[in-house]
This record gives sequence, C-alpha cells and structure tokens, in this order.
Amino acid sequence: MNQRSTRFAVVFLFAVPLCAVANEPEPVSGSSVFSFSGFGTVGETHSSETNADFNASIFQPNGAGHSRSWSPTVDSLIGGQISARITPELSAVVQVIAQQNYDGTYRPHVEWANIKYQITPDLSARIGRVELPTFLFSDTRKVGYALPWVRPPVEVYSLIPISNSDGVDSSYRLNLGDFINTTQGSYVQSNAQQPNNRGQALARNSINLSNTTEYKSLTFRVSYQHALLTIASLDGFLDNFKMFGPQGIAIADKYNSDGKPVVTEVIGASYQPGRWFVISEWGHARFNSFLGETTAWYASSGIRVGQFTPYATYSRASAASNSDPGLALAGLPPGYAGFAAGLNAALNSILQQIPDQSTVSLGTRWDFAKNVDLKVQLDHTRIGAGSDGTLINLQPGYRPGGTVNLFSATVDFVF
Amino acid sequence: MKNLKSQGQSPVSALAILACAMTLSASVARADVVAVVSSKSQITTLSKNQIVDIFLGKRTRFPDGSSAIPIDQAEGSTARAEFYTRLADMSPAQVKAFWARIIFTGRGQPPRTVATSLEAKRLVVEDTNAITYIDQDLVDSSVRVVLTP
Repeated sequence: MNQRSTRFAVVFLFAVPLCAVANEPEPVSGSSVFSFSGFGTVGETHSSETNADFNASIFQPNGAGHSRSWSPTVDSLIGGQISARITPELSAVVQVIAQQNYDGTYRPHVEWANIKYQITPDLSARIGRVELPTFLFSDTRKVGYALPWVRPPVEVYSLIPISNSDGVDSSYRLNLGDFINTTQGSYVQSNAQQPNNRGQALARNSINLSNTTEYKSLTFRVSYQHALLTIASLDGFLDNFKMFGPQGIAIADKYNSDGKPVVTEVIGASYQPGRWFVISEWGHARFNSFLGETTAWYASSGIRVGQFTPYATYSRASAASNSDPGLALAGLPPGYAGFAAGLNAALNSILQQIPDQSTVSLGTRWDFAKNVDLKVQLDHTRIGAGSDGTLINLQPGYRPGGTVNLFSATVDFVF
Repeated sequence: MKNLKSQGQSPVSALAILACAMTLSASVARADVVAVVSSKSQITTLSKNQIVDIFLGKRTRFPDGSSAIPIDQAEGSTARAEFYTRLADMSPAQVKAFWARIIFTGRGQPPRTVATSLEAKRLVVEDTNAITYIDQDLVDSSVRVVLTP
C-alpha cells in the first residue's frame, strides 16, 4: 500500500467508530455494523551482545544490543482495527499497525484489509490483505495480549517472517462430533521492503495450505507453503562469480534468489486445558538461495497460578549448511585467485547469517488488571559455531558462535 | 461465641448459624450458573465441550444442525467468571486473550454481551436459537437447563 492509501485507512479506522457509537445493538444475534478494537505493546529489550542487534523481525533496521542497550522498538507497537458486518454473510476488516518500519519510521501500515463472504456457515472466502495461517500463532504474532510469551520463539517464527499477503483465501470447517477440522487454502503474493537499502522481498504465486484439527483442548495443525521468492539485493555481488566460468555461474545460480521456489512445512500442536498449556511447533524451510535451508522447532509449557502464568520454552534452529567451499582457487592466476578468495569469504559471511541457534526462555505473564498484562522474559541463546544466529547489524567486533542473554519486559493491552 | 452464649443459645446452634452464614456467603461469591435455552427449543441437553465450543465461536450450530446464538454476560460479572472457570477452566483474562486472537484476525467477534442474568434469560426466551447461562435461582418454565456444570 502506498502512503496515500495508508492515510486513508487510518482516517477510516478512527472516524468510523465515531459514527457507529450511536448504533446500539438490538437484535439477539446482532452487534452493530461496525466494531472497533485495538491492541498494543509497550516493551523494552536488553541484549548482552553489544556487537550486534537482536530483533524479532528482519524487517526492522535495528534492535537491542549494538544500536541501543535497551531497545523499545523490538516489541512495541500499536494497532487498531475496524470490523464491519455488512450483511450476515458479508464482512470486512481493516487493521492498521504502527511499529518501527524498515526505514526506521513509525508510519502506520495496513496489516490486514479484506472482505469476507460466508458462503455457507462452514465455508468462507476472503479477498484482500490476509494473514497466512502458517504457524499456530502467525495470525496473532503482533498481538502480545493474545500470546502466552513476550513474542513467539524467533527460531521458528523467523522461518517465515512476513505477516501478511495480498490475494484470495478460502476456509472450510467440518464438525465431526467433538472434532472440528478447518482447511484453509490461499493464493497470494507479498512485497516487503527490507531495511538498510536492501530492496524488496517479493514472494509471488504463493500457495498456502493448512489443516487444523481441534478436539476439546487439543489443537493440531499442519501447513505447507510454496512461493517464488525474489530478493535482488545480492544479484550484483553474485554476478562477480560468473566471470570465473561454469563453476562461478553454478555458484551464482545456486545462491541467487531470482524467483526461486521456497518450500516450507510446519507441524504444530497445542494442548491447553485452561490452567496450563503445552505448545510445540516444528518447521522446515528450504529457500534454494543464499537464505539456505533451516529446520526449527520449539516446545513450551506454562501454568496459571492466580494472576501469573509462568512459562519455559526451548527452541532451536538448525541450518543445513552455513558455508560453501566457493570457487576453486587452484590454477587461477595470482590476481584472480585473490579476488576469488575475497568473493568466497564474502559468500561465506552471507551464509553465516542463516540462523543456527538454540534458546532457553523463562518468563511469566501477569494479568494484573483488566485487559492489560505485564510480561518479563529471560532468553539465553547459544549460537552455532559457524552462524550469526538471528542477530542483525553485525559489527566488526562480532564473533559467531557466542551466547547472548536477553531481558525483555512488555505491557500488552487490548481495547 | 461469648455473645451468643450469653443470649442463651447453645454452641451447636451457634455453629449451625455460622454454617448457614458461610453457605450464604459462598453462594454470593460463587453464583451457581446453569446453561439454558428457551423451553420452546428442541435442544434438551448439551455436553460441556459443545457449550464451550459455541461460546468460543468454534461451533455455530447445535448438534441438530440449527444455528446457535450464544449470549454472554458482562466482563467482570460473577456469572461470567463462574461459567468459564467451571466449563473451560479459563480465567477472565484467558477468555479475553482467546477473543483477541479471533478478533484481530478478522475471524469473528465475541458473543453479544448483556449486563444481567435476567436480560440474558429474556433474550433466550425470545429466540429459540439462543443459549446462555444464568443463576440457577432464575430457572423457571420459560427456559430449559441443558447443562448444570
């Protein structure tokens, strides 16, 4: 969305509820045509690693650690949403979120904007900007109040960092006794701007399928995505390899992301009988480019004790590979060999950015007031020997394979 | 106790009064809620799980296929807290967090909320598709209890 349509959406979002206030719900089933709701998080994150930044999203330019010892931008955001129920079958939703953008501004963006048609009570179709039902919490990864943690485990959720896409989707729900089975399919595309002038990440022809089974307190989901991903920012660099003949061309072709197929599979399960929960998700992403191939999973459990819900999480991301032998230097003329060695080193420093790390998290949610919670979380992350983990803004003093301690405190609210 | 004795009452009757008072205060703090539909409804009984699914928006229909319209009581009300604690073991904050997930993905809106059990009962009597929970004391011939949690 461009700036003008964003502005329009913001005006729409805040103007319409004023008109809707006078509409008191009357019919039994009814609520007014428009409903307004909002959510937000105010947080601070501190990282022990001063030569790099921690951030939960690769679409933000900085985070906690190097840029700021204590960063409010990692988790803080505010969102507003208008839902409109035009007829019993036809509804629409517009959600606008303000958080740190790729360019460091806080200009609000349209997170969702879609129209839904309920074809039958169990079959619906949507068109517009929708979420992808990849992970159990992909749809609410920005709504802190709806999450048991400060944020979803980055090892798994960074496999698919985008939170929305434009296109069509359809959902079919089947009730079989106590089983509720929901199948969702979508055909979408997304275009996300990357920070630090790295251009856009364009995912086209994205096909997403998910199947969710709910049985009492148990939820089980499998999902599959296939998309063609274009990230042109490394094309110039990779072109250098091509002057070294077939072996160089092979390397450039292997690592470019020029419409490369991205395949992800996710399996997730949660058991939430009320007082306690166990949640686990496993995901695998193969990018067929410099983004590599990663397998990640986490397991988390918590228990409610009065107003507190302490939890513990273990999560892990494993890179299939963080290195490449690159160009064979043997037989190259001395001047070329030096250049080739430089290219190899640069390529390996890029592959080093594929996350390979594990994190132990301990934290608690405290529901201290109506519609507000306070969370504190400690994360201890061990980064794989040849990897930078999920860290960004690596500084010259940064050494891969270290440990990072994070402290986060957030207040989440809904209104 | 000394006071009661001086009024000529036995310790046993004092204990009985105390027990009565405790029961009374318990019923004030913990309203006994039952799930009800209109007495004209075809629905006779529902399981805990079916009712939870209807109130959490996971089911839009009763087992017989007719549409189900849940009527919730106000946030902060004893009846509401009691209903969700007993049926789903969920605290008020958990119910709110659950709906935050649904609302902020545009997947739905929570049930219509009314201020009192009386109002909830009135709506159920008016509409055979409606279901709600009310204090047991309010049950009469106009409604049918489908579950006593």
